[in-house]
Amino acid sequence: MEESVTPLSVLGPQCDAQRERIKKLFESGASAQETLRQLCELADGTIRKVFGELQQVRSESAQGLSLLALGGYGREVLFPYSDLDLLFLFANEKIEEESRPLIAEFSRMLWDLGFRVSSAGRTIDECKKIEQDNAEFHLAMLDRRFLDGDKSLFEKLDTKVLSVAEKQARPFLLVELQRLTRDRLGRYGNTIFHLEPNVKDAPGGLRDFHSTLWMRQLAGDRRDPRFSPVNEDELTRNAVEFLSAIRCFLHYSNGRNDNTLTYELQAQAAERSLGIDDNLRRNAAEWMRLYFRHARTLNRQLLRYTEQRAQVAVSLRQRLLAATIGARSEAPTNRLFNVRDGLLEIANEQAYADRNTTYELLAEAAKTGVPLSRDAERSIAYIMAHPELPQRNSRIGWPVLSEILNADYPGVALRPMHRLGLLVEALPEFRSIDSLVVRDFYHRYTVDEHSLRTIEHLQDLGDSSDSLGKHFAPIWKTVDRRDLLILSLLLHDVGKGMPVENHVTGSLQALEIASDRLKLTPEEKAEVHFLIEHHLDMSATVQRRDIFDPATVSGFAATVTTHERLQRLCLMTYADIHAVNPEALTPWKAEMLWQLFVATSNHFSRTADRDRVHASDEAVLLEQVRQLVGGAAKSDVERFLEGFPRRYMAAHSPAEIASHFALYRKLGSEPVQTDVKKTHHAFTLTLLSADRPALFATIAGALAAWGMNIVKADAFANAAGVVLDTFHFVDMHKTLEMNPDEVARFQQSVGDVVNGKQPLEPMLKGRLAAGMARPPKVAVATSINFDDGSSDHSTLVEVVTQDRPGLLYGIGSALARLGCNIDVALIDTEGQKAIDVFYLTSQGKKLLPQKQELLKEVLQGTLS
Amino acid sequence: MMKIEAIIQPSRFESVKDALLEIGIEGMTVIEVRGHGRQKGHTEVYRGREYTVDLLPKIKIELVLADQLVNRAVETILKTAKTGKIGDGKIFLTRVEEAIRIRNEERGESAL
Repeated sequence: MEESVTPLSVLGPQCDAQRERIKKLFESGASAQETLRQLCELADGTIRKVFGELQQVRSESAQGLSLLALGGYGREVLFPYSDLDLLFLFANEKIEEESRPLIAEFSRMLWDLGFRVSSAGRTIDECKKIEQDNAEFHLAMLDRRFLDGDKSLFEKLDTKVLSVAEKQARPFLLVELQRLTRDRLGRYGNTIFHLEPNVKDAPGGLRDFHSTLWMRQLAGDRRDPRFSPVNEDELTRNAVEFLSAIRCFLHYSNGRNDNTLTYELQAQAAERSLGIDDNLRRNAAEWMRLYFRHARTLNRQLLRYTEQRAQVAVSLRQRLLAATIGARSEAPTNRLFNVRDGLLEIANEQAYADRNTTYELLAEAAKTGVPLSRDAERSIAYIMAHPELPQRNSRIGWPVLSEILNADYPGVALRPMHRLGLLVEALPEFRSIDSLVVRDFYHRYTVDEHSLRTIEHLQDLGDSSDSLGKHFAPIWKTVDRRDLLILSLLLHDVGKGMPVENHVTGSLQALEIASDRLKLTPEEKAEVHFLIEHHLDMSATVQRRDIFDPATVSGFAATVTTHERLQRLCLMTYADIHAVNPEALTPWKAEMLWQLFVATSNHFSRTADRDRVHASDEAVLLEQVRQLVGGAAKSDVERFLEGFPRRYMAAHSPAEIASHFALYRKLGSEPVQTDVKKTHHAFTLTLLSADRPALFATIAGALAAWGMNIVKADAFANAAGVVLDTFHFVDMHKTLEMNPDEVARFQQSVGDVVNGKQPLEPMLKGRLAAGMARPPKVAVATSINFDDGSSDHSTLVEVVTQDRPGLLYGIGSALARLGCNIDVALIDTEGQKAIDVFYLTSQGKKLLPQKQELLKEVLQGTLS
Repeated sequence: MMKIEAIIQPSRFESVKDALLEIGIEGMTVIEVRGHGRQKGHTEVYRGREYTVDLLPKIKIELVLADQLVNRAVETILKTAKTGKIGDGKIFLTRVEEAIRIRNEERGESAL
């Protein structure tokens, strides 16, 4: 009887019917595992039938040719429209040559039967060599499975050839797999939190699981002892089943190998409770939260194996229990942290028994930018998952959180805090946006991911300035109260997860609760409130207003009120747009944002004396100040406030104005009043006095003589000629910080210098010489610009130069020598750059051109 | 068919888009561009550094429309993009020979 191949006309409908049956099985609720198994069986059966019949028809021997399944198909995991990875294994080149017609016909038939064949061919000798440029092939070979043909040839490959070759190639394959994994994760922004994730390749997708399996295999399957294997395996099994069900569903829905979980398909999956056993109805957002939970399991496991460490013999539970007991009697070590392989670890495990130490570790990460090791994260996660383990100091306060948020790399701490659940412990309001999908055309990430990315974009400004960030980097490096900015970014979108119409309203409600719990001061709360409430304003102004129109700038400036606030709002806007998706912040938008920032900043410095306070219009403030100082006469408060530039009120809270007023009331008994306060990272000196020649220069000189570095200052005068100068300075030699008693002597000394009781020059002599001896780290060119147009009655001079000890004293003295009166002074620094703006008059009028020339010459001489 | 290229002030974009939607024109391509015509740039000094803004930010809208819609669209853009100041932008019209919808290969006006 003549042998023949079953014709396609018979096989085709059989395959189609089987596929249809399996699809219906899946749609009727069969598990993904079962579905994949049946699809694999269909492929196996068809391949064996076609391959066997072709060999018989062509009277070709089964010797010397073996057919193998590789990759996912090798693992018996075959999705409806996935490729069939096959390998034709030949005993030698002669058989390879003779088999070509058979292989061609076999492949053609499978394609015609609806299988997507992706095949390769190797002789057994070729398999001994590791192809350095084809790690993917060798990784797929790790999942090889015999299908048909010469079984002894496969066994030879499996037990003799590859057992040696793969063992030798393990280090190479592990490195290559880690590189491929890094590249893949990088393509998806290293986050699982995509709004429309690819369930195969994106972080947290099925590829993470398979990569983990390969890594375990290549690394000798060292299981981490600190997790219960049962628990971990169950979590993994559930995650793989859930994601596999989604991938099956996507293939069937799209009719092709498309693994993108689009909004539309999310809604359909939620509608049919895909992958869920309970009967609870979930909307798409709730269902997606389940997706992210499973994706997180797979991604976390992968990351653990990408940084595999030496196995530890004793379980973590035992070590932690021992450490907790031991901690009571043993003295704490001073070396709490180690950096190993560029990652931060707690050196002394006893420290895990104290939550404060965990936060110290996070603060260290935020300060240095060194990430936590996976080991440290696992230890913290373990403690958090086991409440029976004793823990001290489990509640976090604002000072600790503020330290983390104020650092150069807050994102380096906040990211693991979010992963570990510490962020929602510190800020429960953040829970409302955990893994939250909000659908729109622009955002690519979940709301929590977006919020964390805003912070990471800001911290990136500290290290590198790409073309988008070059303008914003100096602002980030010098902005004050970063902690409030970062807190605003954490809270700015939490309203999206709340049942409110406008998410900003929700976010502000969350702030109310958070600020009470964290005990923010009224000023801190007001600042965060402003930033959240107006976080879309700058973006809206850039896009919907003519930013080159002075009226637009003036209106925007009126909303923002101070330069410091402008800096924070600008950074917030930059970060918020940048974190929408990788393409959202175009160079065009970045430039527009920068233009608005510059125009508004210049508006502030050029109009500082334009608007003056008319105390009678400020009934609310008057009453607040009166109450704060315990019932002063209204007329006294009015006299004090009358004529100050409005900027004074914008720059100071009612409480600060009240304390200034309290000093003002004492001027009768002592003509120079001072107050010193310690602020976040600096001190603030407030001085009130009747105006007198060279006052500003004298105060600056006294500060320089004490070795204080002035970073910011302003000087205002009211209508009665009372001058209020505020200097923010860094105590370079920690004189006041280490000796609190010195504060009184310092105040007395400043007062004496201003009153002329103590000569300044001898005090300054040694100090300035020592400062001059140190070369600057960055050279800043000096520029001196005059502006007669911005103010009606003053000449503005802006001096930009290298910051140095005594600089302000030098400039102030030069101004005084030339008879220039300072109406308003706005002093700022950006790193080593000093930016000083003075509103000057001479004999009550603007400076004449000749005087400007002379002043420029003198200042250039002083600054050279 | 005609292609309309309108270069307008960014601040007028939302109004122009809404007005075009109101007259039934939904499809458009929007590009962030920089340039200048008669409205030259300016120099801004910020903290001692000069920034020359010689290419000003604009929005370019591109529309391809059936002939009978062109006049109405142009009038709408003119009306809504106009502020009366230098820098309001320009509109360019060019004839389009063919339009093809990639999804189903429809051609001509029905592809618009």
